[in-house]
Amino acid sequence: MQIVVKNISKDFGKKRTAVHAIKDISVEVDQGEFLGIMGPSGAGKTTLLNMISTNERPDHGQIIIDGLDLTQLHDRDQAKYRRNKMGFIYQSFELLDSLNVKENVILPLALNRSNKKLIEERFIYMMQLLNIENLSARAIDELSLGQRQIVAAARALINRPEILFADEPTGSLDSKSATILLNYMQMINQKEKTTILMATHDAFTASYCSRVVFIKDGVIFSEIVNPGNRDKFFEQIINMQRTIGGGDYFNVSQNN
Amino acid sequence: MYRKIIKRSLSNMRDSYLIYILACSFAIGIFGILLSMGDNPSVHSALSWWDDFIYDITTIMSSIFAFFAFIYMIYVGGFFVKQQRNEFLTFEKLGMPRWAIITISFLQTAIVQAVAWVIGLSVMLVFQKFMGMLLFYLMQIRFNFVMHIGLKSFGLLVDVFLISTLVLSLINAIKTMRILQKRQRRTIIKTRWWLRIPAGIFGVILLLTAQIVTLYLFKDMRIISYSSKPLTEIVYIMGADIFGTYLVYFGFLPTILNIMERIHSVSYSGINLFSFKYMKERLFQNISILWFVTELSALALALLTFCYFGYQAVHQNYNSAYPFELAANKDTVKVIRKELKKNHAQIKGSYKTAVKINLVSYYSKSSQSYIRQPMTFMSYSDYESLPKRMHKNNAKINSHEFLKIDYNSSLMYNSDIDEHNIEVKGAPMIRTAEQGNSFPYGSSMHFGPMMIVPDNYYEKMPSEVKDTFYGWDFKKGDRLKHSQMKKLENYRDAYYMKVEFESSLSKSTIEVMKKEPNKYEAATYTQAGFLRQGNLKKHFKQGGGFYLFIVALFSVALLVALGSVLTLRILLRDDYQSSQLRTLQKIGVEESEIKGIIRCENTLTFLIPIVFALIQSFAAIAMFDFGRHISKNIILIYAGYIVLYGLFGIISFKVSWRGIKQKFKL
Repeated sequence: MQIVVKNISKDFGKKRTAVHAIKDISVEVDQGEFLGIMGPSGAGKTTLLNMISTNERPDHGQIIIDGLDLTQLHDRDQAKYRRNKMGFIYQSFELLDSLNVKENVILPLALNRSNKKLIEERFIYMMQLLNIENLSARAIDELSLGQRQIVAAARALINRPEILFADEPTGSLDSKSATILLNYMQMINQKEKTTILMATHDAFTASYCSRVVFIKDGVIFSEIVNPGNRDKFFEQIINMQRTIGGGDYFNVSQNN
Repeated sequence: MYRKIIKRSLSNMRDSYLIYILACSFAIGIFGILLSMGDNPSVHSALSWWDDFIYDITTIMSSIFAFFAFIYMIYVGGFFVKQQRNEFLTFEKLGMPRWAIITISFLQTAIVQAVAWVIGLSVMLVFQKFMGMLLFYLMQIRFNFVMHIGLKSFGLLVDVFLISTLVLSLINAIKTMRILQKRQRRTIIKTRWWLRIPAGIFGVILLLTAQIVTLYLFKDMRIISYSSKPLTEIVYIMGADIFGTYLVYFGFLPTILNIMERIHSVSYSGINLFSFKYMKERLFQNISILWFVTELSALALALLTFCYFGYQAVHQNYNSAYPFELAANKDTVKVIRKELKKNHAQIKGSYKTAVKINLVSYYSKSSQSYIRQPMTFMSYSDYESLPKRMHKNNAKINSHEFLKIDYNSSLMYNSDIDEHNIEVKGAPMIRTAEQGNSFPYGSSMHFGPMMIVPDNYYEKMPSEVKDTFYGWDFKKGDRLKHSQMKKLENYRDAYYMKVEFESSLSKSTIEVMKKEPNKYEAATYTQAGFLRQGNLKKHFKQGGGFYLFIVALFSVALLVALGSVLTLRILLRDDYQSSQLRTLQKIGVEESEIKGIIRCENTLTFLIPIVFALIQSFAAIAMFDFGRHISKNIILIYAGYIVLYGLFGIISFKVSWRGIKQKFKL
């Protein structure tokens, strides 16, 4: 599924105090690509991800997925599209505490009113794929942070989304849990040919991607393609991060 | 900074505060209006006959009103402190001293109360005249209501404002202090199905048996004067309804949701997977409030039922006592006609009916005693020729049936048992007679019961005394002046009948005396010379109007209180619940589906109490509707209550959805 983002921009706040979160960004993502979006805090990573995933509307520009301009769709149709074609992993997991693990994971299928047999089949497959069969009856409160994120990933993937959006998926995890999650994401990307868009500020996390775009102050600053060697790619990312710096958010003290 | 925190908190919960302030303002406005009405000079001038009664009643009513409004404010004011729990705990974690947090809570409450009082007093000023005119309209008084607030009332209002604001602010400050001391995390409600399922089933059994007993009560209510069975039934119904409803809320409804949740073909479809759990959670949280609202709604409906049927009974009693504006007998008719002529009274209708007085004896089932007394007889044709209002409340009879009209010992409960075997002196025994309580020409014109008999029976029967009753209706009253009334006072008693009861009816006789006997004996009866409604009609209308005014005011106030409690409970969902709805939106649940959850939550929260309240008030109908039937008017009253209550549900849904949408945009 090819994603074409054309000249999108987004402002927050009122006229005088408006913040230009995204300024005329264009980017293309190929089918089955694992794209990382990097940049300092406040650069516009999450806003870009939210707009591509139709959770927010851009002020200008187009988001075309497989020839369909999502910005022209009604909210209701956007929600339907989101539910059918997309999966989401958030830093804060966004699991429903009132539901147990199984109910959280099967929720996207239940929302699509899939038949019970399919729901059970997909659930078993997903639990085996992510190696979390023993968690199915557990309450969310009883899980570790790493387990929660894996469950969130299972929920995101159960309806075989064509695009997986991950916003700082490793942000709340320790390095071991983060590595496990990233391995799973890479596996899904390769096995299921799922297109993944991941926003992160962590170089190690980004090194799992096939390509990384760097955003600074709402514009694309640069991009690096994975040369096939993760260590080398990691170094390239670190170097680019040094070049970009912390962004305005971190430069406040320097200005003083 | 503290000023900013208070401003921010008030702004964040503005929708909820607005509802609370409006409900409080309404209560304060009504309290002020009731209080100021007592010493309003126009009320005193217009209702001089009532003397201090109006002042006393308005003072008592305003005190009762203030007491319940205060309870409401304590209870609902606590919702806001609870809502800010996390905020207060965060302030403390950040190092804010406890006294500062407690002061913030105190000031917030004081500001909200002050705003409510300002709006409430403005409501009082704006609507005092309107409410006064409404009162005069209901009391059918043509008098200009003058806006007035006495110094005494004003001083009292200021005192109540200061004291109540201080007390409420202190209470909320104490509640805040307790939150800071306890620091407990979100309480997880234990499901305890082993307790809930049997409790729920027992609750359903209690409610069902209460309804069955209510059906029996409809039948048994007529025997309340001599049997304890109806009372036992009422006590059982009340207990079973109150406890049964709680148990159903506690056990049965959550069990139903739990079962539905476990039926995968239902719960794995669409948003049900989440909504069943969400509803269950909200139900667990609100069980006590839902129960409280149910019982108060049932009480309100029972009170309305009681008031309606009470008013109907008094009205009916009044109409049967005074069916004509003026009534007379053959001895007084000439004098009265002469006086009416003098006044140029505009007669709308005049009637006259010949009656016979004879001696009867029978065994009365209602009093369970053997009775011998004189009875007035009227023919069926004469009875039927009288205006409909004379016989519409009596049992319907045809031309060959008998109808016994007797005094009703109880206002509310009519005894409709037919009388049998009435012996009449010199006439055939009356085997069966229907019962009625509405006397043609008014109950006060009679010294005893009256019998409507078939025409040929009437023609053939002998009589001890013959008389004729006269009745008039007027346009704009009989216009009899005080001096004329004084003159007519001499004709108040037409004649006296001394009955000599012997061993049998045929030997017993009636001696008619024109002069009042020096010594009254047990068997001496007085025939009234005339009967006039006069002032009584006016006072009856005024009393009825005042009664309607107070009942309507209290009902609306109760409705506002209950509606706002439910609305606030829905609005003040905790952050955790709001974030769950936000998560649903993030993972692709359509807005319409989330709106559906909110709608469903609102519908259930408002529907459950009113349905159970209606079920309970069914017993009130059985108790007060003389155990006969459900009348059209009471259905209309209930429908009105439901419509007003429903309006709160709709407002609550709109405001609730607005709040959720705002959070989605964050």
